[in-house]
Amino acid sequence: MFFALTDDQREFGTAVTTYLAERFDLEAVRGVVEDAAASGADGAVGDGNPEALWKAAAEQGWLAVTVPEEHDGLGLGLVEAQVIARSLGAGVAPGPWRGTVLAADAVRLAGSPEQQAAWLPRLASGEAVGAVSLSGAPVEYAAIADVLVVRDGDGLALAERGGFTTEAVGSYDGTTRLARVTVETSEAFPGEAIADLTARATVLVASDLAGVAREAITRTVAYDREREQFGVPVGSFQAIKHALADLHVGVTMAEHAVLYAAHAVDTGADGADLAVAVAKAKASDAALAATAAMIQYHGGIGYTWEHEAHLFYKRAKRLAGQYGDADAQRERIATLTIG
Amino acid sequence: MDLTYTEAEEQFRRELRAWLGANIPDEWTRPGFWESLGDDESFRVRRDWERDKALAGFAGIEWPAEFGGRGGTPGMKAIYDEETVRAHAPRTVNPLGLAFLAPTVMAIGTDAQKKEIVGPLLRNEVIWCQGFSEPGAGSDLAALSTKGVRDGDDFVVNGQKVWTTNAVHGDKIFTLVRTEPGSQRHRGISMLLIDMHQDGVDARPLKQMSGASEFGEVFFDDARVAATDVLGEIGDGWRTAMLLLSFERGASGIGQYTEFRRQYDEIVDVARRLGRHTDPVIRGRLARVLTELECLRLHAMHVLTQVEQGRDLGFEASMTKLQWSETFQDLWEVYDDILGEDATLDSLGELDLRPLHAQAMWSRSVTIWGGSSQVQRTITAERVLGLPR
Repeated sequence: MFFALTDDQREFGTAVTTYLAERFDLEAVRGVVEDAAASGADGAVGDGNPEALWKAAAEQGWLAVTVPEEHDGLGLGLVEAQVIARSLGAGVAPGPWRGTVLAADAVRLAGSPEQQAAWLPRLASGEAVGAVSLSGAPVEYAAIADVLVVRDGDGLALAERGGFTTEAVGSYDGTTRLARVTVETSEAFPGEAIADLTARATVLVASDLAGVAREAITRTVAYDREREQFGVPVGSFQAIKHALADLHVGVTMAEHAVLYAAHAVDTGADGADLAVAVAKAKASDAALAATAAMIQYHGGIGYTWEHEAHLFYKRAKRLAGQYGDADAQRERIATLTIG
Repeated sequence: MDLTYTEAEEQFRRELRAWLGANIPDEWTRPGFWESLGDDESFRVRRDWERDKALAGFAGIEWPAEFGGRGGTPGMKAIYDEETVRAHAPRTVNPLGLAFLAPTVMAIGTDAQKKEIVGPLLRNEVIWCQGFSEPGAGSDLAALSTKGVRDGDDFVVNGQKVWTTNAVHGDKIFTLVRTEPGSQRHRGISMLLIDMHQDGVDARPLKQMSGASEFGEVFFDDARVAATDVLGEIGDGWRTAMLLLSFERGASGIGQYTEFRRQYDEIVDVARRLGRHTDPVIRGRLARVLTELECLRLHAMHVLTQVEQGRDLGFEASMTKLQWSETFQDLWEVYDDILGEDATLDSLGELDLRPLHAQAMWSRSVTIWGGSSQVQRTITAERVLGLPR
């Protein structure tokens, strides 16, 4: 029995966390967020993909993680990818990492050899940006995508830049950029991969949420150890202790659930459907609760623009609804276990 | 990631499954069977069966062979916890002796204690009770006031213990006693091993809200115990107690998961009979519990992994307890809500609800005993998260 990450797998997360702490901290994130917030005034919005961060993602293999080795990738699985996703979530990092990894997954799983040869090395190296549209919802980073994977009836299709148009959609979560897409020209994938791709997308979003939730608790605990009221640290009050303890348990369970779901998808295990739904339900609830608590247990400062709590809260709000919110996942769980 | 057991562990599973299959009569698996026997008869049947199980080699799974154990792996213990529940094996009659006393004796007992306590415990020749809680010392265990006064080679013990599992069936009781007059809090306490079959010890059943009597009270009125019948050092009983309770840390929760998952299916069956399984609110609530149950299963795999890797779980046992006990309670609250206005009835048509009600009642106790949820949250906040005391 070994239900844990290996040292090598853990190292991926450490690398991302270390990079973000040293080179792309919350001040840098804020720069991207402020850029989005300013868009109402002059209409100018940056593309939300800071060049240095994207270069690091390419150089450190974060983009190549699930691309097969024969296409210049690392040939690893969803377990490794969710490690990266969790660290990016903890850093509320912007950028089209998830869309690019998922686009590569779609090409890898359902694309023709020609499509794979054309796109996988470029996606793995960061030369091409990928985006994925599996529902009618606005698509992350569609505006800068070189390749867009879209649902096409019961299958998937690939549209290249120029083959689709985008219309920016504002969002109060400034750590991403969203757009509605209209596809004009696309080529169908020969293979089937919608269910698999949806499962992978759901797990990566759940993992991001688990990272957001964990960081929200860690920062809140650190603050409440120091912040004094009534002459004592507010973290010594039982009302706060018990709430944070429950959140810690909930987030730990979400971490377990996401890790297991990734493994189940990687191995095609029986019950992988259930595992993915459990992971997304639990991670969504945990992130919403933890980020709301982050605001509450910072007191007034937690409600300000200058404080970082809203970055976590808003990202949780956006991702909790992606690929089915907790209630939708629970209906899925009910269908699988009750009928 | 490797979620499989070793071939030796799977072989152990097959052997255990075969033995359980041949030694558990069908009627034992019928809902309400054990309740129908009455407490004394139920205890006797379970005690005999468990002795036979030990003689067949299916006890002390992870204990060293020198103590009569099987010398098995943590994985075998997890398999044991899972398979015994799956086979509807009766609950152990010696839970505190097996889980807590025996490993403590193996760790710090004298050679004589190791010889005299562990083997007989394994074969159920001696039923051990735990004498910790008192009327004035529940969550605040260090407030205990049961006194032991030295008299020649003995201690003379006076006081009262409560919430004592199997009190009326117990043979001996490992008891926290204040043996230094005037000592405060954690100091001056000894863990005495007291024979319950003497005039100075009176065990009385406590009738619980469910109607059953798993717990009792134990009164000490000039009870005598030899000063050598102390586990650990005299006056160092608090440390002995903390070591003893630490053996809960390796418990993974897989047994609870297996049991509760089956109960989930039973409750879904009730919902189906009543046509409540299509109600979106009920579906959502059942799915919420199922989500927590799955998390409990994964947490059990996590704990087992940590144990196998030789890592100290620290205070993670509090999280394990919170996850299983709160989920169990939530599960039975959904059951009540499925029944709606019929929640308190003894039966619905052909369906006898009383065995289910017994579980629902029991679920109110699990967030209290063994460290209440509030105590577990405080431990988690202070010892894991590092919030100030």
